[in-house]
Order: sequence, then C-alpha cells, then structure tokens
Amino acid sequence: MSDPATRSRRSFSVPRALGFAALVVLGATFTAPFLWQVLISLSSLTDVDLLTRTGFPPVLKPENYPQVFRKVEFARYFFNSFFVAGWVTLLQVITSAMAAYAFSRIRWPMRDRVFLLYLATLMIPGVVLMVPNFAIVLGLGMFNTYWGLIVPAAFSAYGTFLLRQFMLTIPTSLDEAAAIDGAGHWRVFTQVVLPLARPGLIVLAIFTFLGNYNSFFWPLILTKDDNLRVLPIGLLAFDSTYGRETPLIMAGSLMAMVPPVLVFVVLQKYLVKGIQLGAVKG
Amino acid sequence: MIGSARRRLLIALLFLLPSLVGFLVFTAGPIAFSLAMSVTDWALTKHNPLSDTPIRFVGFENFLRILVGDESHLFWDYFGNTLFLMIGIPIGIAGSLGLALLLSARVTPTTRQGRTMGALWGVALTAISCAGVWASTTPGGATTLAGAAAPAARSTEAGLTDLTAHEVQRSRSRGAVLATAALGVIVTLGLAFGTVFFRTIFYLPSLLAGVALFLLWKTLYKPRGGLINAALGPVLDGVQAAVGATPPALWYAMGLLVWGAGLALCARVVLVGASKLRFGDAGLASFLGRLGLVAALGATVLGAGFVLVQLPARSLLPSGFAPVSRGDALDAAREVASSVPGADAEELRLAASALGDQSRVRDLIAALTGAAGASPESAGVVRRAVMNRASRVREGLTSGEGLAAPEWLVDSSWAKTALIVMGVWAGLGGSTMLLYLAGLSNIPPELYEASAIDGASGWNRFIHVTWPQLAPTTFFIVIMATIGGLQGGFEQAMVMTQGKADTIVLAYYIYNIAFTDQFQLGLASAIAWVMFAMIFAMTVLNFRLGSQLTNE
Repeated sequence: MSDPATRSRRSFSVPRALGFAALVVLGATFTAPFLWQVLISLSSLTDVDLLTRTGFPPVLKPENYPQVFRKVEFARYFFNSFFVAGWVTLLQVITSAMAAYAFSRIRWPMRDRVFLLYLATLMIPGVVLMVPNFAIVLGLGMFNTYWGLIVPAAFSAYGTFLLRQFMLTIPTSLDEAAAIDGAGHWRVFTQVVLPLARPGLIVLAIFTFLGNYNSFFWPLILTKDDNLRVLPIGLLAFDSTYGRETPLIMAGSLMAMVPPVLVFVVLQKYLVKGIQLGAVKG
Repeated sequence: MIGSARRRLLIALLFLLPSLVGFLVFTAGPIAFSLAMSVTDWALTKHNPLSDTPIRFVGFENFLRILVGDESHLFWDYFGNTLFLMIGIPIGIAGSLGLALLLSARVTPTTRQGRTMGALWGVALTAISCAGVWASTTPGGATTLAGAAAPAARSTEAGLTDLTAHEVQRSRSRGAVLATAALGVIVTLGLAFGTVFFRTIFYLPSLLAGVALFLLWKTLYKPRGGLINAALGPVLDGVQAAVGATPPALWYAMGLLVWGAGLALCARVVLVGASKLRFGDAGLASFLGRLGLVAALGATVLGAGFVLVQLPARSLLPSGFAPVSRGDALDAAREVASSVPGADAEELRLAASALGDQSRVRDLIAALTGAAGASPESAGVVRRAVMNRASRVREGLTSGEGLAAPEWLVDSSWAKTALIVMGVWAGLGGSTMLLYLAGLSNIPPELYEASAIDGASGWNRFIHVTWPQLAPTTFFIVIMATIGGLQGGFEQAMVMTQGKADTIVLAYYIYNIAFTDQFQLGLASAIAWVMFAMIFAMTVLNFRLGSQLTNE
C-alpha cells in the first residue's frame, strides 16, 4: 500500500529536517558577514569597536554612505568600473563572435591550425602575459589611459573558443538555407547565427563583465591618476588613506558589491548554465 | 559553402581580423616578447629613452639567480607560501562536494503546496520568535520603552561606559531581534524557494570575491573588535574552563589516544594500499594517492594530538593543578589567618613557605587546611581564600598567556591560515559546487537503484557509485584549482596584509620585481616562466595520476 514513490514524497522526516537545518546553518554562515558589514557601515566611528559587545549600533548613521562620496571620488570609481567593464564586454563579445564564426562556419585553409594556436595560448598563465603587455601598452602610449584598460581586453582567445563550441551546436542547414536565399556571410552571421547563439553570447557577456568589474592586477599596474581608478583600486586607496574609519570602508565596499549581485540575481539562469558547461576560467 | 576557396579565405580573414590583431599584439606577441625579455637585464629604471644604457643579453643568468642565486631564498620562500595557501584547495573541494550533496538531497519541499505551506509557516515562525526575543530582551516589555523616560545612568560595564545602560540594553535587544529575523528569513525563503535559494546564497561569496570582500574580512579578522575573535572568545573560555576543571593526565591520555588511533588508521591505509600494489602506472598512481591521504591524515592527527597535549600547559587556570608562586602562597596564608577564628598565623605562614615556588594550588590548599586545624568550616574558608588568590594570579597570567585568540593578519604564524579560511569560505559555494551539482544530476539513477537492490548503505553508495561517477568532474576541478592556486594569492595579500606577516606569494613577487621599485621586467619575466614551468609540470602530473585513477 505504500510503494517507494509515495514514501519518498512524504513531506516530513527526521533526516530531511536535519538536512534542512544544515542548509540553514550554512546559509547563515555565508550571509552573516554581509549582515555584519551592513551593521558596521551604519555605525558611528566611536561605537564601531564596541559592536561585538552591543550587537547593534546604539546610534544609526546612514550619513556614512554620502560621506564616502565626499571623502573620495567614489562616483568616479563607479563610473570608471562600468565604463571599462562595459566597453570591454561589448568589444570582446563582438570580436569573439566574429572570430568564432570564422572558425565554425567558413571553411578555409589552415583554419584548424590557427584555432589550435588560439587554444594553446589558453594554457599560458595570465601572469606571464602581464609583464610584456605592460611594456607593450607603455610603448603604445596607453599607460595611464582608458585605452590601456580597454584595448588589451577587447579580444579573448577564451571567448572565441567558448562561442565556437556554442556555434558548432547550431545546425548548418539553417545558414545553407539562408545562402540559397541569396544571403551573404555577413547576413547569415547577423541574422541566423547570432540570434541562435544568444545564450552563449549572454554567458560570455556576464563572465566578461563580472571578471572585468573585479579585475585588480591590470588596473593596479596601469593607472596612476585618481580619476582613472576603477572600484577595486579606488577601494584599496580609500582603505590605505581612511583605513581607520571602518564604517566608511564598509559602506564603500558594500556599495561596490551591489552591481554583481544584481547581475547575478537577474541573469542567474545563464550564469549557472555557463559554469556547468565548463565556461569557467582558471 | 558560399564562394570559391580564395573568397572564403578572404571573408574568413575579415571576420577574424579584429580578434587576430588582438591575439597577435596582446597574446601571441607578448609570449615571444616575454621569452626574449627573460634573457635580458631590462629594467625600466636603467634602460629607458632618457638614459642611453643598452639592454644586455644575459643568457640564463636571471633563471640561475632565481633558482640558486641571490634571489633564490626569496623565491623558494614565496613558493613555500604559495604551496601553503594551496592547502585550502583539497579542503575547499571536499566542502564543495559536501554542499552539492546536501543541495541535491531534496530536503526542501518539492510540491507547490508544500512550498506555500512552508513559506506561511516560516513567516509565522519568524514573527513569533522575533516577538519572543524582543519581549525577553527588553525589561518590562513595551511599557518601559513607550512610557517611562529612558534611565540616564551610565553603563557600568567595562568598555561601555560612554553609553547609558539603557542604550546598551536597547542595542542588544535590537541585535538579537535582527539575528532572529535574519535566520527566520533564511528559513522562510529556503522553504519557499528551496534549493535555488540556498544555491544563490552559497554562491554569493565567490561572486563577490575581490577587494570589497577582502576589506570586509580584514575587518572581521581584527584581533580586538572583530567578529571572528568575538565569536571565538567564549569558545576558548569554555575550553579553558574545561581544561582547568580536569587533571592534565586526562588531556595527555586523550592526546596519546588520538596519536595511537591515527597511527593505526595510517598503517591500515598504507597496508591495504601495499597489498593492492600492482606493477604499472595504475597501481602506482593509486598507491601515491593513498600516500597523499596518509600524509593529510597524519598531519591532522599529529596536530590534533599536539593541541590536546598542549592544552593543560597553555590554559593557566586556578584548578588544583595550576602553579602558585611562593609570594601568592604567603598572601593566601595571611588571608586564611585573618578569616579562620583561632588559626595560628605563624603555623600557616610556615606551612605556606614550606612549599616551593610554582607549587600546585591543590597542595597549597592541603597544607593550609592542615595548619588551620582541619575543621570542615575552615577547609571551606581556606579553599575560597586560595582560589581567590589563584584567580587573581590567573588574571595576571592570562593577559599575557593562556588560550588567547590569534592576532590573525598580524601574526605571521596565523596570517596564511587566515587567508586559507577566508578562501575556503569564499570558494565553497562557487563554481566547484555548481560543477559538482551538474555532475551529480548526470549520474544515471539506475546505478543507485542497482546499489539499493544490493543493499548498499549510504556510505557504500557514495564510495562505489557517486565518487567514481564524479571522477571526471573532480579531475577537471583539481586541474583548474591547481593552476589557479599557483598563480593566485596576490590580491588577498595586497589588500589584507600588504605582503606583511609572511604572506607574499609568487604572483606578488612578480609584482614587486616588475612594478615597484626597479621595474626589472627581464627578471620578472624569468620568474613568470619558472612559474609557468611549475604549473605545466603540476598539470602534467595531475593528468597522469588523474587519467590512471579515472580509468581504474
């Protein structure tokens, strides 16, 4: 009368409750630091060291948030981060998609050898490229400019690889049909392949944006002026100047965390799929 | 295909052009350029348009300097730090697998009705417990807050004297309510949205890993006023009290027991491995795997036993076994003489001074009780007097020694551990967990059904079905994590310790050489290539061991 299927659907059992309790405890472990960060960011400087004893700021100070913008060029850092990450994402998706099309849809001599060359460079660690790229960007006169932050990241062997794999899954019968209708490669690319590759493009865009929004080493060595600083570098400088004022530091870093969380919550479906397809950089 | 071969090539090149230019200028070119740089003494401070010094070809001098020459002690030091930080990798992988198993165990309601009910229950439970916490932490409940004027009396608690007692009370109440509410929200959303919700909050830290998150952890790690040590304090006090209330022999025995059990377990793993050892790569790979396991197990057991054995010496408590100095013994004797009627002060003094320096509290009590005339009341008085004295002694001692929480990022023996803990926390629910979740959902259910028919227990199912089926996923994760680990660690160290407290890793070293004082691009390139060789070797090793193990 109770077959295994209905038994497993029973709504409550002790192991399930224990498992759920474990999930809640773990969830609390992952969220507690952020909640604590909110409390610190709302605390006054005199109360912040007592926060572990009082558990809540005796006086709430939301003024800490506007204060961050007055102390440093925080709005500028925000703008720079969005400007750089936005351009890099746009350019990288375009160049990668075009290259991926050439590697997956057009037959030309040496194609697979050139592609293998692309693949081989994926093995080279980023640190190896950092030093010569610095010298190259210096030589091109792009040191301490937006150009230097954007141009070297505007192309990606990895992105090309990712989109090529994606485009290989789109049946070629579609572009052949379009070709019979008289469409050239550019029309096939923009009107057939790109719309079908949309999920792949979105995955690449999310990863590129998040990666560049968090990028640290390259902007650190490449920018000198305060008005070129992106958020991570701005935060680091903020901490080294105003490090004693913990509430302000926490308010600033909390604000910097908002955009990735929004991106993740809205585009979570694509992101998770992308990671599980192996689209994750080492 | 459209067009002739030549036309196709032309069109392909047009499509490829933007990417190819970038590839040549910023990837393929730099690789060659970097190799060339690594055999020169190029430094921007010496060789630039302003100075005329030509760049010299130095052959393998840079590489020799790093590996055996004047830079070698730094290089190998930093390499050691990098490897130490990579201890977090196996811990993180095991933890991520655990999270993935927990998430795929379907412990949250699966039906729409179950979710709705769960959410309603969650909301109700949250509301009730918040109200309960608020009522129990606010004296007099609503009436005090609403009606009576706030008492202006200053708080008498140490460190909180700037606040009124009322403010302290109110803050604590609010903090408790907030914590309860947060927990309630997690429960409610967990019941309502199930696995997706938990997966999202587990993933958040790895999404945010960067300067902002490292600054947060820097605050959490503050030795005083930081959340982590505030949470550790009561735990350490509890341990200290437990150690103080028991004889040291117990802790020594437990330490020996742990060592013995660990030794037995290690021996078993080695012997089983040896008995299965066959000729050829597969057998060797599996044996090496076992040796690794033994090393990890041995290190853990050794450490745990050491902690147990050290505890009595480190927790200086007024137990019967804590040491008392001669001066304190004499003070205690004077106290007893003044409070026990009819006790002979001289006799007490003699009894106390008969004990040497660093005698045990228990012996002091025995001596003074004997001298005071051994009535039951006087024994109690003596015990209290001695304990009073001893607890004052302890206050002096624990301020310097005893079980103090670590000064995480300042102390070079703890800073790397602090970075590992943070890294494991941040990475636990990240892409590794998502990959394992995908891997778990790809295991054919028939395998579990078959093992259920065979009567396999949960553990056996894991060992014989889940783990082997996940081997390709694990293999991929280990390779990526090793590559990332050897290159990583720069940002954390830069933000949290500025390279102090022995936290400089290889990437940080390259940064220092190439981009700080002398801009020695040639030497830095050489270091980068040595690092590449190490990454390459580790990847090849992983591939060999991994492909043997997954084929086994």
